[in-house]
Order: sequence, then structure tokens, then C-alpha cells
Amino acid sequence: MTQDQIDDIFRENIPAYALDALDVEDARAVKSHLQTCASCRTELAEYRALSETLLMMTPPKTPPAALRRRLQGQLPSAQKRSSPRFVWSFNQLALGLTLIILLALNVSSYLQIRALQKQQVQLASQLQNGQAAIAMLAYPDTESLLIKADNISGTLLVDKSRNIAMILVWNLPQLDSTQTYQAWLIDPQGKRTDAGIFRSQPSQPYTSATIFSANDLTNFVGIGVTIEPSAGSPQPTGQRVFKVDF
Amino acid sequence: MDLGEFITCHLTIRQQIHFWIWKTEPLNKLVCIMMQIRYNGAVLNLDDTQLASQVAQGDERAFLTLYDRYASHVYALTMRIFRDANLAEEATQDTFLKLWSRARLFRAERGSLLPWLLTIARRTALDRLRLEGRRPTLSTADDPEELWQTIPDASTLPDEARWRSMHLAVQSLSPEHRQLLELAYYQGLTHTEIAETLNWPLGTVKTRLRAAMEQLRREWGEL
Ligand SMILES: [Zn+2]
Repeated sequence: MTQDQIDDIFRENIPAYALDALDVEDARAVKSHLQTCASCRTELAEYRALSETLLMMTPPKTPPAALRRRLQGQLPSAQKRSSPRFVWSFNQLALGLTLIILLALNVSSYLQIRALQKQQVQLASQLQNGQAAIAMLAYPDTESLLIKADNISGTLLVDKSRNIAMILVWNLPQLDSTQTYQAWLIDPQGKRTDAGIFRSQPSQPYTSATIFSANDLTNFVGIGVTIEPSAGSPQPTGQRVFKVDF
Repeated sequence: MDLGEFITCHLTIRQQIHFWIWKTEPLNKLVCIMMQIRYNGAVLNLDDTQLASQVAQGDERAFLTLYDRYASHVYALTMRIFRDANLAEEATQDTFLKLWSRARLFRAERGSLLPWLLTIARRTALDRLRLEGRRPTLSTADDPEELWQTIPDASTLPDEARWRSMHLAVQSLSPEHRQLLELAYYQGLTHTEIAETLNWPLGTVKTRLRAAMEQLRREWGEL
């Protein structure tokens, strides 16, 4: 037999080999022949392409939905879910960290804003008082009286025509939360009338309080300030802080 | 809250999770909006080769996307081989589990994914058939001839031109040739087994199967 004749024998079997239809002995012989014969390998490649395409010729048929669920149940994530072990992937970790950082940023900026807002409100009220004080000082009928006590000094502005008085004091000690400063209007008989409570402002070196009197200020001869329980008292009970005569 | 005044930055993590950070005025507060783009949507746009390489990296959603794409082909093929729904389901499941564990072995330069997957499905099913010692019965209610005649839905196949010409080539074969292909390729019978099943001389089986394949190749090549 010539080489071509030998080759023909193998070549005849290539189509069946591509279908896996050769009997074991024949298949083994073709397989070893393919090792040494390039033209049979080319032939096989063409028949393989054919048989692979044949596989796609079956009209598709949708499998039951339960199959997909079963398959999903065999995937690692489903297996993991059934065991308590939880492994963070790098991405999850990065994501988690990012979220925590963003949350922290939000919280801290929120707190900062809260503090700023509070400060703003305080500043605004002080500014208002300050502006009111300047306006009162500029008003021709306003009396300016000195406040002088131990370590405390300030000014009392009294506008009798409009029944407004303003206390501006420096170095007023801060009280604890159970106590408050209370102002009293003093009449010629020495009787005290409540004129409101106020606190010293911790962020500012001076304290201001405005008194709007319902009665005519000309009926009074002075203003006093005492320390009272935080809700204030109907009559003075605590230590006097200062007293100013009109 | 006043959103959208300032888009400070937009972060994207692995093309799946997007952050937009707004700085609101006048509160100067950072607002972070996180959005996860539906991963499935992103995966659906990938082609088979990209999905297979994602599966090789353990991406389950890519895997399920491939399942949704090709389960009906694998199931159809295994049904054709077994003619039994339970066995076909098992073989379909085994095939996809093999895809899960062997996706890294898929080489796109050697061909598309579906034929590769179907080759795995065929081997898986035939191994099982052999294990059970089952032999095909020729008098079955499910007529294999019918399977050859039905035109698969073109939109579900990647190389439409390829299989369309193959479909015509198959139609050019005689019913006898188609039966031989059915037994050899879909029932996994060897020359000798076919000869026993059909009660034909072995030489006749060899000659006719070869003739069937040669004609198929000729017709397919011409189309
Ligand atoms: Zn050769």
C-alpha cells in the first residue's frame, strides 16, 4: 500500500470520527494517525465544524423554572447564605468604608451646622441687643446710669418715655442651670415688681437684658437684680447682684 | 432639602455603583446619593465571550445570564438525547455546573460559546445514557424526523447564517441518512451498535453514514 492508500483508509473514517461514532479500535487508530497527518487534521476540523453546527439544529425548549432555582441553589453565594460565615469581598469592604466615611462627614457637618446655627441665633440676639442699646443711647430722652458692684460693672439705659430699660453688664458670673438672674423694678415704697429673668451669655464677656415695662417707669425709683431659682420668683428671695437708682 | 445645587463629584465603582454628592446651600451639608445600576441590565449587554470570562472569575449573575440565554438549547438537546424530562433536566443542570467550573477553559478564538456548551451537554448526556446502559428504541412517540424538520428560532442563535444553511443541508438528506445521524450523533451509537440496532451489515452502516456526512458537507459548503 502506498502512503496515499493508507491515508485514504483513515480519511474514510474522519466523518464518523467527528460524530464520535467509530468503534473503539477504529477511533484509536484515527487518533494516532491524526498526530502525524496534517491533511487529515484539516479534514477533521471541517467535519467538526459541521457536527458542532448540527448540535444547534434542535429547536429550543424552555426547561422548567424550578431548574434555574435549583441551579442557583448550587452556586457559592447560596451555599454561603446557608452557613453563618460571611466573607467581605474587597469591593464590599471598599463600599462599606466609603459609606461610613460619607455618613461620618454628613453627621459631623450636621453637628457643625447645628453649633453654627445656635451661635448664629445667639449672635443675632446679641447684635439686636447691641443695636437696641446703641439706638437707646442715641435717643435724647435716654438716661445712662452706671452699674457698679463687686467685680461687676456695666450700664443701665432707661428710656422712661417708652418704658424700656436695658441692662448691659460685664463679668456677670455664669449660674448653674437651677438658677437664673431676675430683674426687679423698685417703687418709692420699696416694693419689688418682677421685670423678667435673664442669663449670662457664656460665649460673650458681657450680658444684656432688655426690660419692657407694662407700668410707667416714672412710678419706679430703681432696678435691682437678684439670683433666683431657674423659673424665677414672685418676690426676690435670693442674693442681690446689684441695684441701680434712677 | 434643596438638592442639585452643586454636583460636587460623581464616583463610579466597577461600573455598578454610582455616587453623586451634592453640597447643599446654605447649610453646607453633604448629601450623598448612592445608586446601584441593575447589574443584570449591565450584564445583558455583554457578549458570550465577555460573560464567559466573568463566569471564570466567579460572577454568578453573568452565569445566570448565560443560563437564561442558552438553557433552552441545552435542554432541547438533552431532551432529544434522553426523551425523558427528568433526565434532561439533570443533564442540563450538570452541563451548566460544568460551565460554572470550566468557564476558564473556554477559548473564544476556537469558536463560539453555544457549540462549546452544547458539546459539553451532548457528552454529559451520552455518558449518562451509557452509564444507564440504555439503548435507543426506534419506535418512539417523539419522532426524530420532526426535530430535523422544525426550524429553530433564528433570533435565539448566534450564527444565524451558519445554522440556516445547515438546516437546508439537512433537508437535502434522505430520511435514512437523517436516521443514521440521529443514532450516531444524538444517541451516541458506534458503527457496530447502529448495525445491531438497524440489523444492517456493518459495512453498509459505515458507507452510508460516511455518505450522509459527505453530502451534508457538500450541501452546507455550497449554500
Ligand atoms: Zn491522513
